[in-house]
Amino acid sequence: MSADPAAEEIVSSVLIMDGDIVSRHVIADYLRHCGYGVVEAANTDEALIALCEPTLSVDVILCDMSALGSQTGFELASWVRTNRPELEVRLAGGVEMAAQTAAELCESGPHLARPYEPEAVVDYIKRLRASRLP
Amino acid sequence: MEPGSASKPNPPFATPRNCILVVEDEILIRMMVSDELRDAGFHVIEACDADEALTILRSVVPDLIVSDIRMPGSLDGLGLLAAVRESFPMLPVIITSSHLPSAAPVCDSATQFVAKPYRPEGIIKAVRGELAKPT
Repeated sequence: MSADPAAEEIVSSVLIMDGDIVSRHVIADYLRHCGYGVVEAANTDEALIALCEPTLSVDVILCDMSALGSQTGFELASWVRTNRPELEVRLAGGVEMAAQTAAELCESGPHLARPYEPEAVVDYIKRLRASRLP
Repeated sequence: MEPGSASKPNPPFATPRNCILVVEDEILIRMMVSDELRDAGFHVIEACDADEALTILRSVVPDLIVSDIRMPGSLDGLGLLAAVRESFPMLPVIITSSHLPSAAPVCDSATQFVAKPYRPEGIIKAVRGELAKPT
């Protein structure tokens, strides 16, 4: 008897909250290449809206500690631990830590592999920032 | 055997074709539109307001922008459109709103208006139509 095909459709989801669009976008794409479903939040208010949306499935939150909003990243993490204790919260304090955390998620995630090294992600973010047009 | 076939794949960092910048302050709408566009084969960058859009536009030039009008921040969607037109006169822009703007701000040939609420397939059709126009 074949395995339940619905089980193979389950994709883990990561909510990435980062107030810097450059690093948020690049790391979100990295996680998508790993096979994750990704929700992008620009601040803690958007993250809370997503977390309170019953149709949205989130398994892990990758939270920039310096994210803006009516709450800090720490306060959001505290809210999650109280109200959504089943969720895993990963706090990141900079682009290097966020990329490394994303790489660790990739190694335990849907494809169980890094699509490319986190150092390449950080280098690309730095190049994007450095290449900004005036 | 092709040269370099055994090497590790390069990160897909070069901005791919069919790159769409979605500017929308309501996260659930932004996510819905972005996910539908990704499912349709587009590469999507999500911005929560015009300020984020202008930040990413300093580094990446998308093939098309989909932007809401009413947004918080230093500029609304029409302000973003005006700023985009200064640097990218022919970059296709799709403006979305539940309120029809006056005709003047959106009357150029590279700008299209789509009324809210819209179905995702309506946005995808509009995006494909704009990208199919001769440049």
